[in-house]
Amino acid sequence: MPDSALEGIRVIDLSQGIAGAYCTKLLADLGAEVIKIEPPEGDYARRLGPFPNDVPNHDKGGLFLHLNTNKKSVTLDLESQSGRVVLRKLLANADVLVESESPGVMASRELGYEQLKGEFPGLVYCSVTPFGQTGPYAGFEGNSLAAMALSGLMYITGDPDKEPLCTGGEPAEYFGALHAWVAILAALEHRAANGGGQHIDVSMLEALGCADEYNTTMYAYLGAIRKRFYSRHAIPTYPSEIFPCRDGNIVVIGGATGFPLMMAILIEQPEMENNPLFQNLWLRFMQWEKFEEVLRPYLTEHDWEDLLTRAQELRIPFAAVLDAKTLLENEHLRERGFFAEVEHPELGKVPVAAYPFKMSETPLRVGRSPLLGEHTHDVLGEVGSEAEDQLVLRERGVT
Amino acid sequence: MTLPLEGIRVLDLTQVYAGPTCTRILSDLGADVIKLEGLKRMDITRNFVMPENTGKDDYWNRSGYFLLRNGGKKSITLDFNDPEAVELVKRLVPHADIVAESFTPRVMAKFGLDYESLQGIKPDIIMVSLSGYGQTGPWRDFTAYGMGLEPASGISSVTGYRNGEPLRTGISFTDPYSGVVGAGAVLAALHCRRRTGKGQYIDLSEHESAIPVTGYAIMEHVLTGRMPERIGNRSEWYAPQGCYRCKGDDNWLVITIRDDAEWEAFCHATGHPEWEDGRFGDVLGRFRYHDELDGLITSWTREQDQIEAMHLLQKAGVIAAAVLNPKQVLLDPHLGERGAFDVIEQPDVGKRPVSRQLGAKFSAFVPNSARPAPKLGEHNREVLQGLLGLSDEDLARLEEQKVIGDTPEGAVPLDVMRMFVQWPTTTFLQMGTIAGLDADYREQLGITGDEK
Repeated sequence: MPDSALEGIRVIDLSQGIAGAYCTKLLADLGAEVIKIEPPEGDYARRLGPFPNDVPNHDKGGLFLHLNTNKKSVTLDLESQSGRVVLRKLLANADVLVESESPGVMASRELGYEQLKGEFPGLVYCSVTPFGQTGPYAGFEGNSLAAMALSGLMYITGDPDKEPLCTGGEPAEYFGALHAWVAILAALEHRAANGGGQHIDVSMLEALGCADEYNTTMYAYLGAIRKRFYSRHAIPTYPSEIFPCRDGNIVVIGGATGFPLMMAILIEQPEMENNPLFQNLWLRFMQWEKFEEVLRPYLTEHDWEDLLTRAQELRIPFAAVLDAKTLLENEHLRERGFFAEVEHPELGKVPVAAYPFKMSETPLRVGRSPLLGEHTHDVLGEVGSEAEDQLVLRERGVT
Repeated sequence: MTLPLEGIRVLDLTQVYAGPTCTRILSDLGADVIKLEGLKRMDITRNFVMPENTGKDDYWNRSGYFLLRNGGKKSITLDFNDPEAVELVKRLVPHADIVAESFTPRVMAKFGLDYESLQGIKPDIIMVSLSGYGQTGPWRDFTAYGMGLEPASGISSVTGYRNGEPLRTGISFTDPYSGVVGAGAVLAALHCRRRTGKGQYIDLSEHESAIPVTGYAIMEHVLTGRMPERIGNRSEWYAPQGCYRCKGDDNWLVITIRDDAEWEAFCHATGHPEWEDGRFGDVLGRFRYHDELDGLITSWTREQDQIEAMHLLQKAGVIAAAVLNPKQVLLDPHLGERGAFDVIEQPDVGKRPVSRQLGAKFSAFVPNSARPAPKLGEHNREVLQGLLGLSDEDLARLEEQKVIGDTPEGAVPLDVMRMFVQWPTTTFLQMGTIAGLDADYREQLGITGDEK
């Protein structure tokens, strides 16, 4: 078995919640040793569920499992001096630290970057927060919804006559996670080439803002303020959205070559090839309601798999609208081995989503999340915390 | 100042959105990115978002959409349908560390540019393929757009108004998402190559890469058997949460109350201590009477300026954020102070604010993000002569054969394309796809004075 890509990299993860955890999961699955430091009551993500039978249990949360595969869990109270002493011992052998406290909190515990860099000059120290370490909103409370709002992406999502709509799944947390992961890997490259660690300041808002396709560009180039319009593109690519069909939904996309002929063939009305709504994309964009009068009746008489297959045969980029159940059952994903079953001591066999890409030469680890404090004894033993130290810590409720 | 990827060269065969995001991040981190386009197959985003037509004919060098994801790269034109061009691409491979591509799976093999072939030319090459559905499996040859991959990833199944249909985000969500994933994949492979001396192949399915965003919903189905519902702007965990109308036509504020203490703070900050106890006193009550609470909260927000209300509630420790429109985003004081936008001087366009593509600030270096996008074929001579040693005569002959050049050759005549790429903004305004049209937008953005 060859080594993993990040073999030998050690990460101390102090973060709680989603963004920091998904970032370090991406590092852990790549082979880094990730030691998750949790307060005695555990990462708050352990309390977010979902739980079997809806009974809360800090070792049975589904979201926590999703976000913390292949990590070790050590409980340590960083509010206490002895907890911080143990953390410094752990940092002596670490390459990366990830934290997600509000700006200023780590410094108040004498664990800010400025306070640690003298002792640990090679440490890559990454802070992941909703709005970053500086600027007028640095002290704001935030979450994915607030980042969606301030990024401009919410204003352009949803129906024109309704309130702006947030994308589901806490997207700013995941974008923040990806940008932190990329930044940490870049800082490790920088250290390898030039020596020295550094501080990385990741803002979930800015990570999400990077995903803005052309909304600020439309203002900066045309003075036009784009608004939500059924989440439809302002670019005349209509249609490229979700429509109901007989047994669910289907994404209808004309793409570069779908109109006029291929779409007319698909809906079994070849004469529509000569219809101006099929011929002229600007007209179709402007008179979309007329176009939908042609399209919708056909879709409601056909099933999504049939529409998808026939559209793809005509090289029209239709897509499926999948949900939790149909993703798990999807034949394409099954053949690619996307969901791997892991054995969890409290949850039994559970399918978990695979890594977001495959690598030809280095394995990607498949594993479960740790129970709360599962590795406290082993990890503290490794850094020479004597048995009696641990006992003292345990008496104080630290470990 | 040394950047982390200095000395790394990327052959960038990607186009449009996901791939160019990946290589733009690598470019900002110091890599030398050479973007390959064909005169008959230039990046189509060179057609998107033009400034006013000021008489310049080369509209394809002035697109805002293209600048956003290609600033700082070099552009060369080599058409894969020409066997000599494919040979030149192969001669560039020994000079590269990374090859990035975003074709459907069969294309690279067809041109003899698959991973095995590239490895034969350069044993430690790192190759990343960003495709819609990956290199294997029954959907591998599907043609894919980002607008379709977001619903296919499951995200749309949990996006939508309560009891409403599934909806997409107003952007091609999976493109920027998988683009960032691609950048991380390359960095991980580079890290590994430095230690082991080996390159590798990365199969990135844009569809799969975004599925983890649906993680909570998948786990809910796995552990409870329930199907997650669309809940609009509400939360699985906290109540109340929502998007509330403020003073003005289309101004909104999002609010999340995470616990009883925040609810108390909210009630006091808004001058409504009477909401604090009773039915709304705990989170179960606030979930049960959420509809009624939304009405009460709106009765307060309706009279508030969205920005002032955000500051008022944040001062009380409550999560509140104004729903900014794209113009407000560009003028936002926080994003401004953070440097989220570089002002880039694009030839034949002038200065424009352009979003950075990496939402991280580094203490040891500053990513090189503030560079203009290359003109089509701008670096043909520099690359083909500088790296491959082609003579002036070679270049002249290739130009004559239209293998290289600086003017696209599409099926649509250029004068027709010039009309097409001018967006009818007044029609957009009538339709309601834009909320406003500012003639003085450059004054408002402070970028006047040098319009070409």
